[in-house]
Amino acid sequence: MSRFFRGGDDSSSESSSDEEELYSTSEEEEEEDQEQQESSEEEDEEKSSDEEEGPKKTGLSRFLVDQASSDSEGSDEEAATKVKSAKDKRFDELEATITTIQNRQKIDDWGSIANEFDKLNRQVVKLQDGGKAPKSYIKCIAELEDFLNETLAKQKVTPKNKKLNATNARGLNAVKQRIKKNNKDYQTQIDAFRKDSDDFMESDEEEAPAPRTKVRFQEPLDLEEAVEDEGGFARVDKRGKAIPFSPESIQKHLRAIVESRGRKNTDRGEQIKIMEELSKVAETPYLKIRVLQTLVSARFDLGSGTTTSMPLEHWKAAERELAALLTLLETHKDHVVIEGAEEWEDDDKTPVLGPDDKYIKVPGSVVSYIERLDDELTRSLQSIDPHTSEYIERLTDEASLYNIILQGLLYYETIRKDASLDIPQESLNRIIQRRLDHVYFKPAQVVKILEENAWKQASSGVDSAITPRGVSGDAGKLMHTLCNYLFDNSEGIIRARAMLCQIYFLALHDEYYKARDMMLTSHLQESIASFDVATQILYNRTLVQVGLCAFRRGLVYDAQNTLQDICGSGRQKELLAQGVMMQRYNQVTPEQERLEKQRQLPFHMHINLELLECVYLTCSMLLEIPLLAQIGSSPDIKKRVISKTYRRMLEYHERQIFTGPPENTRDHVMQASKALAAGEWKKATHFIHSIKIWDLMPSAEEIKAMLAKQIQEEGLRTYLFTYAPFYDTLAIETLSTMFELDSVKVSAVVSKMISHEELAAALDQVTKTVIFRKGVELSRLQSLALALSDKASALIETNERTLEVRTQGSANAFSRKDGRQGGQRGGGQRGGRGGARAGGNAQRQAGGTQFTGGALGAAVRG
Amino acid sequence: MASAPNANGDAAVSEYDLMLKLVPHLDRHMIFPLLEFSAGQLVDEESGDVKDEAKAREITQAKYSLLKNSNMTDYVANLYCELAGIEEAPAEFADKKQKVFSQLENYEQQTSKIIELLEREDVVNNLRSDKVANLEFLKREHQVTMEMVNALFDLGNLQYSCGNYGGASEMLYRFRVLSTDNDKVAFATWGRLACEILIMNWESAMEELQKVRETIDTRLSQNPLAQLQHRTALTHWALFPLFNFEKAREPILELFFNAGYINSIQANCPWILRYLAVAVITNRGRAKNPGIHQKQMKDVVRIVKQEAYEYQDPITRFVHALSIDFDFEEAQRQLVLAEEVLRGDFFLLAHADDFVDSARHLIFESYCKIHARISLQDLSARLGLNADAAEKWIVNLIRDTRLDAKIDYKEGTVVMNHPPSSVYQQVIEKTKGGFFRTQVLTAAIAK
Repeated sequence: MSRFFRGGDDSSSESSSDEEELYSTSEEEEEEDQEQQESSEEEDEEKSSDEEEGPKKTGLSRFLVDQASSDSEGSDEEAATKVKSAKDKRFDELEATITTIQNRQKIDDWGSIANEFDKLNRQVVKLQDGGKAPKSYIKCIAELEDFLNETLAKQKVTPKNKKLNATNARGLNAVKQRIKKNNKDYQTQIDAFRKDSDDFMESDEEEAPAPRTKVRFQEPLDLEEAVEDEGGFARVDKRGKAIPFSPESIQKHLRAIVESRGRKNTDRGEQIKIMEELSKVAETPYLKIRVLQTLVSARFDLGSGTTTSMPLEHWKAAERELAALLTLLETHKDHVVIEGAEEWEDDDKTPVLGPDDKYIKVPGSVVSYIERLDDELTRSLQSIDPHTSEYIERLTDEASLYNIILQGLLYYETIRKDASLDIPQESLNRIIQRRLDHVYFKPAQVVKILEENAWKQASSGVDSAITPRGVSGDAGKLMHTLCNYLFDNSEGIIRARAMLCQIYFLALHDEYYKARDMMLTSHLQESIASFDVATQILYNRTLVQVGLCAFRRGLVYDAQNTLQDICGSGRQKELLAQGVMMQRYNQVTPEQERLEKQRQLPFHMHINLELLECVYLTCSMLLEIPLLAQIGSSPDIKKRVISKTYRRMLEYHERQIFTGPPENTRDHVMQASKALAAGEWKKATHFIHSIKIWDLMPSAEEIKAMLAKQIQEEGLRTYLFTYAPFYDTLAIETLSTMFELDSVKVSAVVSKMISHEELAAALDQVTKTVIFRKGVELSRLQSLALALSDKASALIETNERTLEVRTQGSANAFSRKDGRQGGQRGGGQRGGRGGARAGGNAQRQAGGTQFTGGALGAAVRG
Repeated sequence: MASAPNANGDAAVSEYDLMLKLVPHLDRHMIFPLLEFSAGQLVDEESGDVKDEAKAREITQAKYSLLKNSNMTDYVANLYCELAGIEEAPAEFADKKQKVFSQLENYEQQTSKIIELLEREDVVNNLRSDKVANLEFLKREHQVTMEMVNALFDLGNLQYSCGNYGGASEMLYRFRVLSTDNDKVAFATWGRLACEILIMNWESAMEELQKVRETIDTRLSQNPLAQLQHRTALTHWALFPLFNFEKAREPILELFFNAGYINSIQANCPWILRYLAVAVITNRGRAKNPGIHQKQMKDVVRIVKQEAYEYQDPITRFVHALSIDFDFEEAQRQLVLAEEVLRGDFFLLAHADDFVDSARHLIFESYCKIHARISLQDLSARLGLNADAAEKWIVNLIRDTRLDAKIDYKEGTVVMNHPPSSVYQQVIEKTKGGFFRTQVLTAAIAK
């Protein structure tokens, strides 16, 4: 039992203070005593007691364990009297001091009481054994306090007659102050003492010897190792009681284990082993439930570090045990595990069903276990390299997790049926949210399989009220029911998350309009900044998914618009929690970095970033290239920019002296853009089609066809913009053959451009030609004058708006404005893709399509 | 839109019948004229025979279940007889009738005093705009109690239920003058609106409409769902005056285009778009301010485009084809369908011709805007007229709208002249209002 051994074994003990070192030596000595007595078990004990030293280190927890195993205290003292060790000597000193104090009390010598009291406190620190102050000390300070109060009271009554001398008065004050502070620390013990002083002092001592004798008999059992984990001297007793494995001992064990939770250096592995054994012998459902609960919590403690994840085998075991727990609860309907149930205090008996009670209530929270299990899986997935088979193996555990969630849900539904239990709605919400979290990002077929398997696991007689078996087969319906349930029954974050999950799912399944409408009606874009980061990330993911969905539907403008905030930021990775960005200037603190790492989504939930970029750039190309062509031909139109990111890339690409064949997605899009700008739509289509990543999209062929069509049209527009100044007339037929478009389609496109006044031309129906008007090009002065007048009216408008905001819209003086504007818009020059754009903008204002980047910023900062 | 089914007329009309969609948002008494109308549709105009027995019976049945819960006992009894094929109505109807009468009498007794009071000049002259004070005054001077006031409300309700809309309206009006119960006043306002609509007293219906609108905006601002529902209902009710009363057009269109209402329409009842589109299109020549009309037209186009995924009928498809796709052939096809739909619609029947005419204008306008030269023959086909009629029509149009166009008879073409808008004109246009607006601004700041 050398200190070196321990030091090597356990690094944390090195940090302990000198005093503790001293103490531990003394303890070791004592332990040697014990070893003499119980020489047969030396070897085993050394190890375990070694490991068990941790718990004694910190004040509070030390104290806690004592309360629990207060009956073990007696043996402490008993052992201590047998051999005079350093500790015993201190004990004697302590006793001496206490006697002195008691004597001084008799003569009211407060001066020396103060001194002795200080001394006493110093001594007791060294003597605190396993967090427990000696009984005699407690007795002393309790009595001292009483005496002090008495004296103070007396003083008040007779202030003049019997005044204390100066030293005494000073001493009295000193003791008064100190004792208050001091006694607070030992309050419970003192209370126990006061309640029944005799009992407190003696009862334990009588009990102690009995179990010890048992120990000797039972030693050979191989279980002893498992039981030995109790600290110091108490260990002996504990083991003694554990061995018979009666229900009482199980409860005591559990209590001890529960109380040692969260302390440094608790050997959780050992505890788990004990409990595994215990669970085998537990007979009544109550005990089984208790053991399983504690066991699962203990397993979770294994992974309680911030970075490490729970070991795989323990996760699996926890999963099994949780499943067992839930099955147990299902078969024994009279047992319920609910939050806020009364703790069963009596370790010697198990609770039985009273005549009036319907249930045996066990405190605990099933939903918390499930959440924890889920979190642990996520954590472990985060840390595994996604490209290994290990990841895939781990991922298969999700199915069993899902089973547990479903079982948990069923359990909560059952117990909620009974109003007397008063189960908070929130637990059910949480569990449904978890279920949703496992479903929302998956395609319908996968969900279907998942559901089928989960229901197979559940016993056949059970059905869910919220999500009946029938509904579960259809993923869309399932999502709908789950989300609707949460809409109705929850609020705040859970509700918002449910909404986002539903939108995500809809978007994933090509229900663009439904998803968009929900996104708009949810008004989440206004409030998202106030939610937590995880929800903001979900929001970003949903946004991206909606954008991708719009793209699949061929709605290029909407897709670009929706993706703009995320993709235009250049921080996709961060915003979607799919990887930590390299920071150029190291601004993030390690703390932030750690948090960010924690937030990362496991790989199987990722949205393919390359695909996302590809979609975004393609959309930007389709919008930007005609716009660039338009701006190029008429310099007076304001320089509008749709996507800065795209523009920057395009410029960069154009600056290159030599452009090789395209290698990555970006190159492909850039070269396609160039081709499109030159009117070579076929080449552009070719470039876009040769991007490999389209294959990742469902129905890639359709998307390619859609893109080809879009490129044709935009090519036509670009061509008209670019070459209009050089033609007088152009035959529709020619255009039609050039772009391989139907001549009706060509005239429709041209009509649209003319109608939106993008093109100064008219159609001649007889000759089927486009006649370009001449003389529309403005001189420099003219265009400047136009720009100036534009700016002037914009200025007035801004002023008006400012005033309107100030006066809260009460200034009706501007009612004239609407009509005027309408008129102007009709006749005025409106650049760009008038109709489409105007529609889009108006929609933005009305419905608020603008998914602002506010949340995104916060998501990164937070 | 090109894929729109060119089904034959009958199928198309019934496909686009909005009856079922409208009904949930209307009061039972308002549904009645709609049912009457559908019954009328089944009667062959020339022979007076009912074309479809089963359907007619169905409608009678619908009428019966509709009014079963109302107090129009006599009529219900008749309907019942018709359905059951018997001469004499069962006794229960008589019982009910008796009950209703006694109830009526009861209420009338309760309210007689207050009505009398309200007719006395000296009392009325003492009334002020302050309701609380009025009530105080009546209580003090004439022992009017709250119960009596509420009895007015109940009587109004009962009368309405019996089909005596005029009386009901009167009662509710009186109730509203006196009552301080805001909820009941709101109900009374709705009730009056219904009464005025049913007795086709459009002027006061419009007043009530405005009142209801105010209540919705002010009182329900904390409850978005109720606001949405009330707005939806109001939108539906407003259809009655919209298509029956010329003067109601502008204010109701303005109401519909109000942000709150247009959102309600988009979110809750996109089929109203049909009525909105028709109203705007037919409003073409009538609008005092062409600017507003253009703006409304633009809004309609925008909304039709936005809602295209959710609601389509020949009218919205026409708008879509014409103003978004610029597919004139499709627009023409849809126009034909739209006319049929219009003729089968309770609200729009009277406006079908008007609509077709305005729609032609619209087609021609945008056609002219885009084309420099159009063959007459082609155009007449587009407009759905024969060559001579088309020529005449175009000549009229050119004269009316002072369109810069000429007919080249020899070539058989219409030649449009599009003068490029002068830069100078543009600058003048843009800066024209500047001074005035600045002045208004300064005035507003000075206030």
